Amino acid sequence: MEMRKKVLLIGFLITLFLFLSILAIGAIMDSKRQDNIDLQFEGMYKDINDIQQMTLMSEVYGQSMACIAFKTKLQELDKKVWNMGIKLEQYRVASEEFQKNPYYLDQKKTFNENELTYMTILTKIKSTCEYHQPVISFFYKNADECQKCDSQSFVLTDVNEQLKENVSIFSFDMDLNISTLNLMTEYYKIDQYPCIVIDEVPYCGIRDKNFILKKICEDENISGCSEILK
Amino acid sequence: MNPIYNALVYVVWFFATYYVVVFILLMLMEKDDIRSGRKNLKIAGNPKVSVIVPAFNEEEKIHFTIKSLKDINYKNIEFLIINDGSKDNTSKEVYANIKGDARFRFIDNKDNKGKAARLNQGIENAEGEFIATMDADSIVEKEAFNKVLPYFSDKKVGAVTVSVEVIKAKKFFHKLVELEFILGLSLFLKISAMLNAVYVTPGPFSVYRKKVLDEIGGFDVTNITEDLEIAYRIHKHGYKIDNCVEAKVSTFVPDTFKQLYIQRRRWYSGAIQTLYKHKKMLLKKKHGFFSFMIPYNYLLIFLGMVMFLTSVYMGIKDFIKTMFYLQYTNINLWYRITHFQFDFLAFGNISFIGASSLILGIVLLLIGLRIAKKNMLQRKLGIIGYPLLFFIYQIFWIGSVIAVIKGKKVKWR
Repeated sequence: MEMRKKVLLIGFLITLFLFLSILAIGAIMDSKRQDNIDLQFEGMYKDINDIQQMTLMSEVYGQSMACIAFKTKLQELDKKVWNMGIKLEQYRVASEEFQKNPYYLDQKKTFNENELTYMTILTKIKSTCEYHQPVISFFYKNADECQKCDSQSFVLTDVNEQLKENVSIFSFDMDLNISTLNLMTEYYKIDQYPCIVIDEVPYCGIRDKNFILKKICEDENISGCSEILK
Repeated sequence: MNPIYNALVYVVWFFATYYVVVFILLMLMEKDDIRSGRKNLKIAGNPKVSVIVPAFNEEEKIHFTIKSLKDINYKNIEFLIINDGSKDNTSKEVYANIKGDARFRFIDNKDNKGKAARLNQGIENAEGEFIATMDADSIVEKEAFNKVLPYFSDKKVGAVTVSVEVIKAKKFFHKLVELEFILGLSLFLKISAMLNAVYVTPGPFSVYRKKVLDEIGGFDVTNITEDLEIAYRIHKHGYKIDNCVEAKVSTFVPDTFKQLYIQRRRWYSGAIQTLYKHKKMLLKKKHGFFSFMIPYNYLLIFLGMVMFLTSVYMGIKDFIKTMFYLQYTNINLWYRITHFQFDFLAFGNISFIGASSLILGIVLLLIGLRIAKKNMLQRKLGIIGYPLLFFIYQIFWIGSVIAVIKGKKVKWR
């Protein structure tokens, strides 16, 4: 009987150890997720600074020199911004704790603010450098309040994968209550979610992939469009 | 992920892991006994043994059973084959096969009363000090009684179970059942015996002390799993059930998956029926560890079922959601699959919980096979498919619970 109690106790301790190990792995993973996001943010901030510098240079030295540099830099940054958004979403799904983490919320807010800065610069460059890059802004709320926002995000992921560097997509979380974003919704007269703005024209309510591709291809001559418009 | 679902997964994981860890520890501790049996046990004299074999429509397999009984090398023995109103040629087969062997008696009933009633009829007619009950589609090894009877040297032992193995594991699901039997009806019963918590005296072959059967009133004729129910009453009367893992009985498993489902629905419905009947025995110190282990088992089964159903519901919901998404993207599923980017950091704790359960289950199986000296290579297909058992048995359990809730009469056959 004594031996039996001993085994039950040892078994309990081993189980507890395994359980705590899994929790510890979870905590380590959360911290790795933070590190990974920090690293990506660092790169993104640097790129945004570069672009801001280039904007200033174009004003001082003229457009021709800066516009060449812009094009390469923007394509690179586009990919980073979108991947960053996807990563944040993936990690949110992976870990309940990570989602509640103030770090995650702070980073998401900063990310959205930076996206806005980048989008503004891009819009300006488009006109000064005659740069034909379609821009989509996606305004959404959390899934409980806006069931179709998730679907719209899924559609945009697909659009991004199809057009790759030929399109710039920015997603804005309206639950974060960022004042500049609120200003944007007033400007575009957004009254329902999800809402996408394609080259300055708002389309509220969910839009499917065909609709978005057609809208982009009607206005911009980018690779892949000839097939879409057939 | 829903926080309630997460909590459920953690709880089920903890209960199940504790179970598996204790199982592994006890197996490792008891490995010498499992491999070579308890050599120091001896029983006085040469007590008479009666083997009772109830039979219903067993014309195809009963000659295997009779052949194995004839080969038994224990001398002071009698065999009672009891027909339960078979509609086929069971009777003819029995007469032809027992001819000329005085150790056999055949009670050729024309009416069908069920297995438990026929076992009781056998007990009434038996002359032995020990009663072995055996299914008419099973084969027992010839040394069985030499190995089992010494376990009765402890006067508190009311019954002894043996290892149950599968005859001819040809189909894939037979290979899974074979592994389930090695773990569940051999090693687990050995471990349960160590804890004095054996919950079943398997129908294929178990040996009882006749005095105990008389005292507890034989088998319950109203129960569809009489071999499970009697185990409760043996404990209730203060007796122990031991396990002689070194003695073996082999049995046929259902041919088709549907038959397996019907068999398991009977087992599990019977288990619920028995649990309800003996609810007052649960969590009572006087009934020993058995009364705590049983509710633990069923709580784990219940939580596992809830988790399974919730997971299925969430899986279907996610699937519908994905389909809903896909309709907006011209069903570009192939592109998504081929462009999937693996990121280890995207896996949450629930994924680790799932992976650790799978690993622990496989570790338990491999240690079990090693200790039981079973050839792993021969069973590689079963080992690979083994995790499927979790899903299969959840479906069986859900079917059984529904049958019980709906008050559906689950028959023996």
